[in-house]
Amino acid sequence: MEGTAVAVCEILKYLIIHWRCETARISKGALLEGELVISIEALNSKHQANTLHCVTTIASAGSIFGGLVLKKILKEIQSILPGLSAELSWTSEETSYSQDVSGVTPFQMIFEVHEKPRTLMTDSLVIKNFLRKVITVLPKIRFNFSVKVNGILSMEIFGAENEPTLNLSNGIALVVNHQHYVSTPKFGATELLCSRIHPVLGHPVMLFIPDDVAKMGLLGELILTPAAALCPCPKVFSNQLNRISSASIFLYGPSGLPLILLNPEQPTSTIFKDTSYFINWKKHHLCMVPNLDFNLDRDLVLPDVSYQVESSEGDQTQNMDPQGQTLLLFLFVDFHSGFPVQKMELWGVHTLLTTHLSAILTESHSVVQDSIQVAVDQALEQHHHAVKAHQKLQASLSVAVNSIMSIMTGSTSSSFRKTCLQTLQAADTQEFGTKLHKSFHEITQNRFLHHCSREVKQQLLPEKNNAEQSTEDAHENSSLELLAGTSGQVENKSLKRGSLRQGVEETRAFRSPRALNPSEAALGRAEPTAAPLTPSRNRTGPRSGLEDALWLQEISNLSEWLSPGSAS
Amino acid sequence: MAFAPRGPEASFFQVLDQHRASLLAALRKGGGEPAGGGTRLATSSEVLAAIENVIQDIITSLARNEAPAFTIDNRSSWENIKFEDSVGLHMVSHCTTRKIKSDSPKSVKTFALILKILSMIYKLVQSNTYATKRDIYYTDSQLFGNQTVVDNIINDISCMLKVPRRSLHILSTSKGLIAGDLRYIEEDGTKVNCACATAVAVPSNIQGIQNLITDAKFLLIVEKDATFQRLLDDSFCTKMSPCIMVTGKGAPDLNTRLLVKKLWDTFHIPIFTLVDADPHGIEIMCIYKYGSMAMSFEAHNLTVPAIRWLGLLPSDIKRLNIPKGTLIPLTKQDQMKLDSVLKRPYITCQPFWRKEMEIMADSKMKAEIQALTFLSSDYLSRVYLPNKLKFGGWI
Repeated sequence: MEGTAVAVCEILKYLIIHWRCETARISKGALLEGELVISIEALNSKHQANTLHCVTTIASAGSIFGGLVLKKILKEIQSILPGLSAELSWTSEETSYSQDVSGVTPFQMIFEVHEKPRTLMTDSLVIKNFLRKVITVLPKIRFNFSVKVNGILSMEIFGAENEPTLNLSNGIALVVNHQHYVSTPKFGATELLCSRIHPVLGHPVMLFIPDDVAKMGLLGELILTPAAALCPCPKVFSNQLNRISSASIFLYGPSGLPLILLNPEQPTSTIFKDTSYFINWKKHHLCMVPNLDFNLDRDLVLPDVSYQVESSEGDQTQNMDPQGQTLLLFLFVDFHSGFPVQKMELWGVHTLLTTHLSAILTESHSVVQDSIQVAVDQALEQHHHAVKAHQKLQASLSVAVNSIMSIMTGSTSSSFRKTCLQTLQAADTQEFGTKLHKSFHEITQNRFLHHCSREVKQQLLPEKNNAEQSTEDAHENSSLELLAGTSGQVENKSLKRGSLRQGVEETRAFRSPRALNPSEAALGRAEPTAAPLTPSRNRTGPRSGLEDALWLQEISNLSEWLSPGSAS
Repeated sequence: MAFAPRGPEASFFQVLDQHRASLLAALRKGGGEPAGGGTRLATSSEVLAAIENVIQDIITSLARNEAPAFTIDNRSSWENIKFEDSVGLHMVSHCTTRKIKSDSPKSVKTFALILKILSMIYKLVQSNTYATKRDIYYTDSQLFGNQTVVDNIINDISCMLKVPRRSLHILSTSKGLIAGDLRYIEEDGTKVNCACATAVAVPSNIQGIQNLITDAKFLLIVEKDATFQRLLDDSFCTKMSPCIMVTGKGAPDLNTRLLVKKLWDTFHIPIFTLVDADPHGIEIMCIYKYGSMAMSFEAHNLTVPAIRWLGLLPSDIKRLNIPKGTLIPLTKQDQMKLDSVLKRPYITCQPFWRKEMEIMADSKMKAEIQALTFLSSDYLSRVYLPNKLKFGGWI
């Protein structure tokens, strides 16, 4: 199929690759930043029944594509879309613009196709999914996507520039806002708590290239870096989140471009049909089966591969249970060579990966499996720890509540009982018990949120001399002093905001102690394949303000949950 | 008859009587017993009210959406402990504290366990029944984990509520023994006579003891059970009658200390210790005399600063020509403990004790009381102790 969706996605990929190569000449590792406008205007065809004449325009807002040699670009794009049954045209600054895309400069590209309405609808969904996938790792690119069918306009803007991210290597950053990956309504009130995922990076591994693939002229190395995370955050617990219910795999190639164009007609890469080919799920007491639900019409980043947990009894009803956590696994494949990578070379690598992904991964099965397993194990370990911590907390709170109830109900002092009831505004002892439990629960949940925010802040800590962070440090330290509280010793005197190194070390300790740890590699060692972790200065709007404010009340380190130790 | 005087002549106790007189004079000079600055006996209703206040505070915090927390004195911190000659080691009035928070992962379990034990104490006091710390532990051993957790929490509660443990209706299991010229009636009406061939166990409820009667000229605290039994076998209490012997079988439990304190408060008879000439024995002696860090919050009810060191003194080793083959080199732990004891604040007002410890440090040797058996099998009860008592060989 070489319809609108393929054309748009391939053109966007080409443009982003070009953009990446141009940017890399100036600042290697910088995030691409800018806006692209995609508009599809469809009118009933005059010549064919039940067919729409679709004019697709791809334009840039702003001068982001400096140095484009227009004719060459057009020729190259035409070569990568040989099956496109339409002509590409290019307009320069002097040509007219569609009034719907005002302010578009300096280039735009137009092509026309004829499609059935249903095809256009599917194409729109495919394009949207592609855009969502792109902004997940290229958060500073904004896409303005509009579809106008017989005069009826729908428009959507895709962007994540103000959202928290985890910077990876080579100019891509993973958006860690869980709303991209899981629909929040199903988790009810917990959506108000930690809204981030906390990815664990696996160690980068070099992929072995099969001979027949190498003969295609690949001059360089392919490096795979996995990242695993549980979604939503495992430390924010509700009763719904005490099990893993599904796993989603996202495949990205060089420049942060999706490797697979998800399409109901295009089957998932065969290599992933065997759920245990790369991941040993049994060690975590999970039985995964492929999830064949390819519903594109969801406002989420759709995975390239989806698994769901099958219960031991093989109960299909439970398989459909939407609750529970999802293991997200991102596989980033990057390309490195000893020379500055040229645009068409990168395009070739991308194409090669898209068409030969299974073969390459099979050839490198052992190393890929090791790397992915480590990341998955660490991510699931978080879950196990969180489950245990939650159980410990619940047990302790239960003891506390029962003890208070025992004293309150056993007291012969009516004034004492009355005061207890009045304080919690309870009508009777039963309601008192309910409110007591709820109060303790709410207080501890807030506590978890503080830690989550703090931990993510530590992951995203900038360099020491960053002015913005210095301001936050000052603000936090003064808040910590205010909250330090009692005279004399304070139990949590070990809580200090600390230096970047401390925060980084905590992050390191939180992850695998393996020698070849991408976190460690990312934290300053001279590793050619990994860039240092640098912070994203982006924060999501209103919610981050609440989280930051709550985090500033933090006075103890929740990572203690994850390590055994008796109370004082 | 148990009380037929079979001891030495009255002149034997002349020095002891003089010592007792000097102790009484010192007491009168000091204005009587030092005022209790720490815990005091509390009535049941006071204990119940105190617990209810704690619960109310917790509920008030919750109503304000604040995480409740207990504020606990740091009992085991030297910076919170001071030394007074008349009391021993006791807690300062404004000491540092720590918070046991309900929203901290590290302390939420302790927070819950404190509440659990408070609820159990509440029930005990309400029903006027008693339980030992061991009983508390076994109500839910899986929840508590180990006995030490329970012991620490009970002490923390006692310190937090400013109420002695016995007012919480929690008893400690006694391991100590008594023998000699002493009679009393226990709380349940049981009449006890310690002047029998075998020793009597220290009762669990010292507070409940009534009608204490004795003519004892002195009380001898013996460190080890082995030495205590040996003295019993040698009929020491009869030969040195009237006297009382007590052993805590090593580090004394709370009830043994309470008993010694009660005997002092009631009779003001000279109290002596018979410990091994080693750092451990000296430390045990110091616990009886000056108290321990862990129980410093109850020091006024437990310490007897009037205690004197009778033996085995390091200087006795040379004086008595105890064979060197019976001596034991100080270990590294002994050295560290000796150094630690020498640095304690109460040693500064005990120059003779310091000198003895310096002798031990210089010789780098220690000796058990049993070393005296190399002189003769009954040297301890027949020669050593009688001479010490007759001629004032205590420091």
